[in-house]
Amino acid sequence: MRAVISILSLVIISVMLLAVHPASAHFGTITPSDDIVTQDDAKILNVQIKFIHPMEMHYMEMVKPKQFGVVHDGKKTDLLGTLQGTKRKSLDQNKKFTFWTTDFKIRRPGDYTFYVEPTPYWEPAEDKFIVHYTKVCVNALGLEKGWDQPVGLETEIVPLTRPYGLWTGNLFTGQVLLKGRPVSFAEVEIEYLNESPGNINVVVPPADPYVTQLVKADANGVFSYAMPKSGWWGFAALNEADWKLKHDDRDKGVEIGAVYWVRTRDMK
Amino acid sequence: MKIMNYLALSIFVLLLLSGTALAHKVNLFAYVEAGEIYTESYFPDGSPVENGKVLVYDSSDNLLLKGMTDKKGLFNFAVPKVDDLIIVIEATMGHKNSFKLKKAEVEAGK
Repeated sequence: MRAVISILSLVIISVMLLAVHPASAHFGTITPSDDIVTQDDAKILNVQIKFIHPMEMHYMEMVKPKQFGVVHDGKKTDLLGTLQGTKRKSLDQNKKFTFWTTDFKIRRPGDYTFYVEPTPYWEPAEDKFIVHYTKVCVNALGLEKGWDQPVGLETEIVPLTRPYGLWTGNLFTGQVLLKGRPVSFAEVEIEYLNESPGNINVVVPPADPYVTQLVKADANGVFSYAMPKSGWWGFAALNEADWKLKHDDRDKGVEIGAVYWVRTRDMK
Repeated sequence: MKIMNYLALSIFVLLLLSGTALAHKVNLFAYVEAGEIYTESYFPDGSPVENGKVLVYDSSDNLLLKGMTDKKGLFNFAVPKVDDLIIVIEATMGHKNSFKLKKAEVEAGK
């Protein structure tokens, strides 16, 4: 009974927190069913593409992305045609939202960097469009080659830490690029994916600043963050595009984000 | 007391050695195409395993054939038997790994 009450109060408190602080970070998300494929694993990866608030587990409606593909051994493969739309909602959302998913067959050893460029998302609350160029890397069959190469997106995070095989507590270091050039003192937002597979304790942030962590890059656009829990972690470096998009016949600013996802596991 | 020190030292050395082995872990990848089995042997950074010994076993552990990788870490051979095949790569210094090529894949590529 006591447990029920404490769970109830946690739910109430978190709902209250959410109600009071609706502003939280949007994250483009790509999560594969595994980040390391060994020869004993199934060679089929399920890849999910979403636009969410990772910590609060809120979905946003996502129309079909503009671009989705994978880079392996220096070669790009377009996978946009393989995407299937599907709907889901979190516990405290009252309607379902669209996200995208595909199954991808691993055929050769090496690193597979999946990337997505979503269709611009209009955010009335911020009076701007949001485009998050999002990446994740999957290693296959013991060949650790390719993860440190940029894909060539308008903006992207290039990992300086090998982005798989990471322990809980490891430092993730990456470089923020905009049109191929490092972004000095870029702001990088970091969130934990509360829906991570195997996450048995949903994280309830004790105060607003805990929802989204914030670090700044150095003059070379290089940032680091140590990840305190096992699961998926998203890194989003946000910049203002030097181009505009029309909304109701008016030019509006575009937030372009470079997002990267990595997975940590506990040492045990 | 002295024995304990030796013990600790030897465990330490052992750990060091096993660490080195991991850092140079060898891998073999195999696939079948037009009746030929192609193998690629590599270290994690992509550098090829040169002059590595390749051993091919059937599902009953019978050695079917053996060969050597070339400068690119490659070795290929005609499908020796439609079966689950275990292909072992042995590099220098005891670095060893194996790859299982499933019967269905062998059959499909024959």
